[in-house]
Amino acid sequence: MVDVAESPPALRREIPRVVVTPLASRPPREEQGDMTSSAVITAEKLTIRYGSFPAVRAVCLEIPPRQVTAIIGPSGCGKSTLLRSMNRMNDFVPSASVEGTLLYGGQNVYGPGYDAVELRRRIGMVFQKPNPFPKSIFKNVAWGPLINGYTGNIEDLVEATLQRAALWDEVKDKLHESAYALSGGQQQRLCIARAIAMQPEVLLMDEPCSALDPIATTRIEDLIDQLKDRYTVILVTHNMQQAARVSDRTAFMYMGELIEVGVTHAMFTKPTNQRTQDYITGRFG
Amino acid sequence: MTAHFVDQLDALQRRSLRMASLVEDILQEACEAVFDHDDALCRRVVARDEDVDREEVAVESEVIRLLALYQPVGSDLRLLCTVLKVNNDLERIADCAVNIAERARHLDIHAVIPDQNDLSQMVPIVRHMLRYAAQTFGSHTAVDVDRLFKEEDAVDAFYQQIIRRIVADAVKAPANMASYLDVLSIAKNLERIADHATNIVEDVMFLATGEIVRHRHWQT
Repeated sequence: MVDVAESPPALRREIPRVVVTPLASRPPREEQGDMTSSAVITAEKLTIRYGSFPAVRAVCLEIPPRQVTAIIGPSGCGKSTLLRSMNRMNDFVPSASVEGTLLYGGQNVYGPGYDAVELRRRIGMVFQKPNPFPKSIFKNVAWGPLINGYTGNIEDLVEATLQRAALWDEVKDKLHESAYALSGGQQQRLCIARAIAMQPEVLLMDEPCSALDPIATTRIEDLIDQLKDRYTVILVTHNMQQAARVSDRTAFMYMGELIEVGVTHAMFTKPTNQRTQDYITGRFG
Repeated sequence: MTAHFVDQLDALQRRSLRMASLVEDILQEACEAVFDHDDALCRRVVARDEDVDREEVAVESEVIRLLALYQPVGSDLRLLCTVLKVNNDLERIADCAVNIAERARHLDIHAVIPDQNDLSQMVPIVRHMLRYAAQTFGSHTAVDVDRLFKEEDAVDAFYQQIIRRIVADAVKAPANMASYLDVLSIAKNLERIADHATNIVEDVMFLATGEIVRHRHWQT
C-alpha cells in the first residue's frame, strides 16, 4: 500500500473520491456500443482570449472517439491553447477567458458548477517535456489512482498500465528505482502510463516527442498507434510528417482559426483550402 | 518546403516535358517512315528511342530521390506521382513508335494497300492526341477533353476498320500476308499510342484534382 502522505504539500488537498473501475471489469469495446457516430469532444464557436488577444477564434471542431486527431499549424496559431482548453488547463492562466462552448459527454465543460478536477481525470494530458514525479517508477504510476481511492490490486494496475505504455519490459526489474534514472523517451512513456493509470477516456498530447531523439520518437509514435484502441488521442505537433504518420484526422489552424479539418491522408494529398496546401508544402509557416 | 526543392521540382517537370517533345518527334518520324518507306528514318527512330530509355531511367531516379529526401505532400506529391506515370507512358509510346518504324523498314505500304485512307486518317489524330496530352501535362489543366474522347473513339473505329479491311484483303491475296500483318501491327501500335495519350491526360486530372479518374468516364 502506497503512503499517499508522501505527496507534495501543494497536492494534499481535498480531492473528490472517485471509484476507479479495475481495468479487467471494463466491458470490451464491442459492448460499449458504436462510438464512431458521436464526437467525444465538440468545440462550438470556441474563442479563447489572453487578455484582449484572441488566441483561438470561434473554432468549431468535433473529435471522433478512439482515433488520433492531430492539430497542426505554425507557431502561435493557437493549437496548444485549443488543446489545453479541452481539460481546462487554461484555468491556471489568470488572463485567459473563454467564449462559446466545449462539450464533453454532452455537457459544456465551461458551464457553471462543472467539476474541472473530474474533467482532468477523464481527459489526461502529456506535455512536451517529460515531467515524472520525483518518485519511483512504481509510485509515479500508482500515485494518481491511490490518491483517488483505488481499491483494486495496485501492483496489477501498475503492471497493466506499464504494459500498455510499452514500458514494462524495460522497468519491471527496477520499479522502485527513481523515475529520473530513465532515459528521456522512457520518462515520456512513464508520463503516458501515469496518465492512463487514471483510466481516462481522452489523452491530450502537446508535442510529446519534441524533446526526444528519433528512436524514442518512433517508440512514442508506435505507442500512440496502440493507445487509440482504448483512448481518444488529440495530438498537437509542429512536425507535419509526424501528424501524417500517426493521426487519423488532421486539423490545420492558422492565426487562431481552424482552417481545415479532415481525414489525414486527404489533408496531405488533396487539401481543399489553399492555405492548407501552402502550409503543408512549406510555402509558408 | 525549401526553395531548393521547388527549383528541383520545376527542373524535373521541364525535363519530363523535353522527353515528351522528343517522343512526339520520334512518333512523327516513325509515321513518315511508313508512308515514305524511308529506311534511314527508321534507323533514326530506333536510335532516338535509346535516348528516351535513358531519360526514362533518369527521370524515375530523380522522382525517387525527391520522394526520399523531401517527403512531399499535397500537390507536390501528386506532381511527382504524375511525372512517374507520365514518364512510363512516354517510354511506352516511344516503344510503339519503334515498332512502327521496324515494320516500315520492309513494308511498301503503297504497293500493299494502294488506298490507305484509314491509316492516313488515323495518324494525324493520334499525333494530335499526343500533342494535347503533352500540353495538358505542361499546363496542369485539361480543357476540351470532349475532343479527346471523340478522337479516341475515332482511332478505335479506324483500327477496327483496318482489321476488317486486312482480313478481307488477306483472303484475296494470301501471298501478301506478311505485309498485311505489318499494316495491322502499325495500326495496333497507333491505337496503343492513343491509349497512352489518354492515360497521360487522366494522370493530369489526378494532378489537378487529387481524384483518380482511370477506368471510368469522367465529367468535364
